[in-house]
Amino acid sequence: MSLSESIGLALVGLGCVFYLAGTVGLLRFPDVFSRLHALTKADNLGLLLVCTGLAVLEASWRVALLLASIWLLGLLAATVSAYLIARHAHHAGAAGRPAAEGERP
Amino acid sequence: MTPELLVDVILAVGLVALSLRVVSGGELFRDIVVFIVFGLVVALSWARLGSPDLALAEAAIGAGVTGALMLMAYRRLASRSGGASGDRSRRLRLAAPVAVLAGTAVAIIGLAALGIDGASDSGGAAALAALPATGLGNPVTGVLLMFRGLDTLLELVVLLVVLLGAWAMMIPGPPPALHLVSRDTPLVAALLTIAAPLCVLVAVHLLVVGADEPGGAFQAGAVLAAGGVLLVLTGVLRPSREAGPVIRLAVLVGPAAFVVVGVSAMAFGRPVMELPGLWAVYLIETAMMISIAVTLSLLFGRSGGFRRGGP
Amino acid sequence: MSSLAVYVVAAAAVFGVGVYGLIVADHVLRKLLALNMMGSAVFVLMVAVSGSAQGRPDPVAQALVLTGIVIAVAATAFALALLVRIHHDTGRVTLSERGDDDD
Repeated sequence: MSLSESIGLALVGLGCVFYLAGTVGLLRFPDVFSRLHALTKADNLGLLLVCTGLAVLEASWRVALLLASIWLLGLLAATVSAYLIARHAHHAGAAGRPAAEGERP
Repeated sequence: MTPELLVDVILAVGLVALSLRVVSGGELFRDIVVFIVFGLVVALSWARLGSPDLALAEAAIGAGVTGALMLMAYRRLASRSGGASGDRSRRLRLAAPVAVLAGTAVAIIGLAALGIDGASDSGGAAALAALPATGLGNPVTGVLLMFRGLDTLLELVVLLVVLLGAWAMMIPGPPPALHLVSRDTPLVAALLTIAAPLCVLVAVHLLVVGADEPGGAFQAGAVLAAGGVLLVLTGVLRPSREAGPVIRLAVLVGPAAFVVVGVSAMAFGRPVMELPGLWAVYLIETAMMISIAVTLSLLFGRSGGFRRGGP
Repeated sequence: MSSLAVYVVAAAAVFGVGVYGLIVADHVLRKLLALNMMGSAVFVLMVAVSGSAQGRPDPVAQALVLTGIVIAVAATAFALALLVRIHHDTGRVTLSERGDDDD
């Protein structure tokens, strides 16, 4: 295995760890805001690491550019949807109280 | 077990687990969201099965548009829970045995079919052999446009008939406003300025590369429809009762272009639906993309047409 | 067990689950979810089976399934339009058991 392959695989693996952490946070945290916090922060970093790892593995500028745009689009979608969910939860008065069963995390 | 097989097994287990979660009868909103996740896992399965065209279509249409339609209907129905209807107990007693029987039958058929070696003169083999002559690189686009064009045309007609049916079922009175968030909301304006043009860019990209790589009119139309959904949800477009001339034209242009190009082949002494070249493929696919996008957006908005929303 | 067989078995299981959901559900929206899952299961089955010969899916099967996905969303959209109308006219979101009006 070449050096770039090991670096790429390590980055993808590290990204998966962040995804796992974000998902555990989503499932374990008590209320909407901390769940969003775990999900957006950890998953955006995880996506960045996975994209970087794949770009290193592929070693092509075209693919790297496409992966970068995927990450930026992911960031945009995560930011706006997290903001809208948080806003909705805030208006609904869900702040601070534990998320009820069936409530959108 | 090889790593590839492990991935397949994880996806397969995921499919079954998610489907069980959908039918297990929790809160309806949650089940619809799980159904969307199911669609995304199906899309991953398509990629693993070697069909990126279907992966794109499933993610955009199967999970995306269907999910959006379901969520919008859920909102319209004001989340009423279904009351018990009629003799429920007999139905429940029968459900599990019937389901097991159906699943077993499908498994037997599938595994038996898997054991049969495909005929070397199958339609797929013929399509692959004839593909280089068409100038297309993507065999699925070749089948859809060149070899089975009539099927694709009739598919567009089905979409049109569905739209007419939905129009006939429209609730009397002005259609209610659908927008969930104002575009004055911080971040939403930014999303619109970036995402709406990007939808057009991605759709055109999918359309153009669809000749040689995964993509095509259906995937492009669905991405464009996603942009339409975004505009409806943010109130940039508001549903109106009547379809204006532009909307009528957009809905018809896909099947019309297909019919005109397909039938005019006769004038040059060629069989009906034989396309004269790559330019005709691009022309028809562009028209199809517009019709599909507008039809799906109208079905989502449950409206006759759209008008520009106020600020 | 090959990868294709894994998907065939999963598709059969999802089909069975869909049949169960279709029978058990009261809310029509739930029935539509189950019906859509049954459709997806059949699509996966068709493509998995068509891939057995050449090692990659048959392009005709792929085109057929692509058509199927679009028709499925169209049928779902029409069913939802009907459901919203029925709800508007009768206030119900369920089907009566034997076609009789048991309101």
